[in-house]
Amino acid sequence: MKRVAWIAVALLAMGAVALAANPVKITFWTHEDPNRTPLEEEYIRRFEALYPQVKIERVTYPSAKIAEVLLTAFAAGQGPDMFNLEINDAYPYLVMGRVAPLRPEWVGYPNVDTILGAYLEGTLDPVYRDGQLYGLPLELTIWSVFVNKKYFREVGLDPDTDYPRTWEQMMEVSEKLVIREGEIIKRRGFDFRYPYYLEELLPMVEQLGGAFLSEDGQTAIINDEAWLQVLRYLQQWGPLGKNLGSPTYKAARSLFNFDRNEVTMCSSGFYQIARIRNDNPAFYESGEWMVIPYPVFENAVRDMAAHYYGHYYMVNAQSSRETQEWTWRFIAYMLSNPEEYLTKAGLIQPRKDLLASDVYAAQPFGDVFAADMARSSMVQLHVANPEFKQLLDDAVKAVMLQGVTPEDALATLRRRANEVLAEYK
Amino acid sequence: MLSCEGDELRKNAHTRGICERRGRWGWAFVLPSLVFFGLFSIYPVLNALYLSFFQKHLLSTAPPKFIGLGNYVYLFHSPAFWNSLRATAIFTGGAFSLLVGLSLILAVFITSRRKFQRFLQLAFFSPAVVSTVVAAAIWLLIFDPRGIANQLVNTIAGTPGVDHNWLAAPAMLQLSTILVYVWKYVGYFTIIFITGIGSIPRSLFEAARVDGASVWQTFWKITFPLLKPTTLLVSVMAMIQCLRTFSTQYFFSQAGSPRAPIDVITLNVYYTAIRNFQIGRASALSLILFAIMLLLSWLQFRLARSEEVSYL
Repeated sequence: MKRVAWIAVALLAMGAVALAANPVKITFWTHEDPNRTPLEEEYIRRFEALYPQVKIERVTYPSAKIAEVLLTAFAAGQGPDMFNLEINDAYPYLVMGRVAPLRPEWVGYPNVDTILGAYLEGTLDPVYRDGQLYGLPLELTIWSVFVNKKYFREVGLDPDTDYPRTWEQMMEVSEKLVIREGEIIKRRGFDFRYPYYLEELLPMVEQLGGAFLSEDGQTAIINDEAWLQVLRYLQQWGPLGKNLGSPTYKAARSLFNFDRNEVTMCSSGFYQIARIRNDNPAFYESGEWMVIPYPVFENAVRDMAAHYYGHYYMVNAQSSRETQEWTWRFIAYMLSNPEEYLTKAGLIQPRKDLLASDVYAAQPFGDVFAADMARSSMVQLHVANPEFKQLLDDAVKAVMLQGVTPEDALATLRRRANEVLAEYK
Repeated sequence: MLSCEGDELRKNAHTRGICERRGRWGWAFVLPSLVFFGLFSIYPVLNALYLSFFQKHLLSTAPPKFIGLGNYVYLFHSPAFWNSLRATAIFTGGAFSLLVGLSLILAVFITSRRKFQRFLQLAFFSPAVVSTVVAAAIWLLIFDPRGIANQLVNTIAGTPGVDHNWLAAPAMLQLSTILVYVWKYVGYFTIIFITGIGSIPRSLFEAARVDGASVWQTFWKITFPLLKPTTLLVSVMAMIQCLRTFSTQYFFSQAGSPRAPIDVITLNVYYTAIRNFQIGRASALSLILFAIMLLLSWLQFRLARSEEVSYL
């Protein structure tokens, strides 16, 4: 925490020198997060009070919309000065040279290595390129499994001992927990987060020794047997199989908090805890929920949890140099409050000092997330990730909803993924 | 009255002068809309045509690479493109025929009422003013496995607990998008037909009644033939509207439905440009859609011209 205080003081000193500078307007686009908004609006107010020549306009967009709004803005040369996106969507901006590097001296660090050293190893890799940093993490997210203990007991299971450790057990337990009226599911045991295949589906394939890309990145879809096992599993999961869940039902994560007998388990990140507290304080206080590790297949060859991903604040390379500098200073100012982000918004900045702090240690189930992170890795990054995600979505829905065989779905996925790869060679 | 056409114009220099002055004013009044049309309709088409010959990543600041007809060649060899054509044809075929047929039936029904004409017009037109986002949200709730659609069909058919997979099974998903579209736009085309029916001289209906024509005969011998210009207008507008469909398919695919059965050309354009960053290829795709629209509209005009009817 000493370093955080030192950075804040350095920022103040640097700002005082710049008081006579020209007015700077910073446009800041971010996704909607009701827990983060009041926090960042307060940081803006304080920063503007410290540096009256700086005006910051914070604009929020729904999570599902911000990627395309930002893309069209950048394509038209009208992007905001700063933004954050899930790294899968942000990575093409970095590769295409649309974001500006951070100069360590702007944010009170002597060099890039010192910044890298302040964060957990590997967590800045996605934004580190040619010796420069192009982003600072707002949050790093790994998904574990949230469980409603009440429904376990309702079907005669002990949540503390009978929780699923393998995907096979997950299916078995979900069959006991599901409530249907004919074919229509009233309560799901567990359900996947369908659009997030790189984070949740790919680790399942990797547990079995498969991969999306070869090590040299030249070939897509490695180890057919691993892929087929996962696609068959999902086919069994869907309405054409055991009918335990489907992409067309409302996202399990958004129903979990309300404890309305609609869903028993869902995948989510640490931020879900703050959302349970906000959405349903009685359920939050009840002690009727818990977090368990991400399961593995019984025949897994690797112990792999869900891939973690990050949201990084980035700065538009088309903004003026002065605006870039002030924007980085503002980002560093906001991020110098990691404990507040953790306790008020449920967001984990992967800083070593935060993760070693008592504040983090006191967070419920922080140990489960930390253990899952230890047996995981950052989500695979490629400039074509948005397209790969779409291809995975097509394959999963083909087997779950359209009656396509896993073999045919895999053949289509392989052909299309390799076509995309060929275009980027 | 002064005529600015034909012999008089050629013979009389004074008349020609007045006509030229009038013509200049005419241009002055038309110019703003021409500029607007040129800027927001013609320029984007020309720009898309230009871009369709280039390979360009939407985020790249590098200049686009000229590839000639490469984007078109790629598309014609792409299974996804042919799937989009098929999805567009299925949607347009279903929605177009329902829209034109149903709006004509509704228009005749409403104009034959002595009471509640205004109310019925308003009731059928109201979905057209609902925003597409709201309409999609309403229908997603209706088509949810636990929604009204399953309950209604199961109550009528006596099949409790059956999930009709409105948002999941390919055929049902196509039907769902058609239903949403027809619900949203049928009132709009009904109003156009009502206006068309209103412009048919009352004397023709009165004469038919005096001659003892049945309601059925009156419709087929008077209303329907004299509505031909309106039917042409509605069918061209409905056809273009159906080919341009996007929002319903977009929101359904965002809500978890499989994309392939409803991957109409416009949705494919969106994914190609926004998700895959291939703006040149997306431009080629949109140009192909433009050509299809032109061709179908031309065909409709040709067919309609050969059967013109007038009782006056």
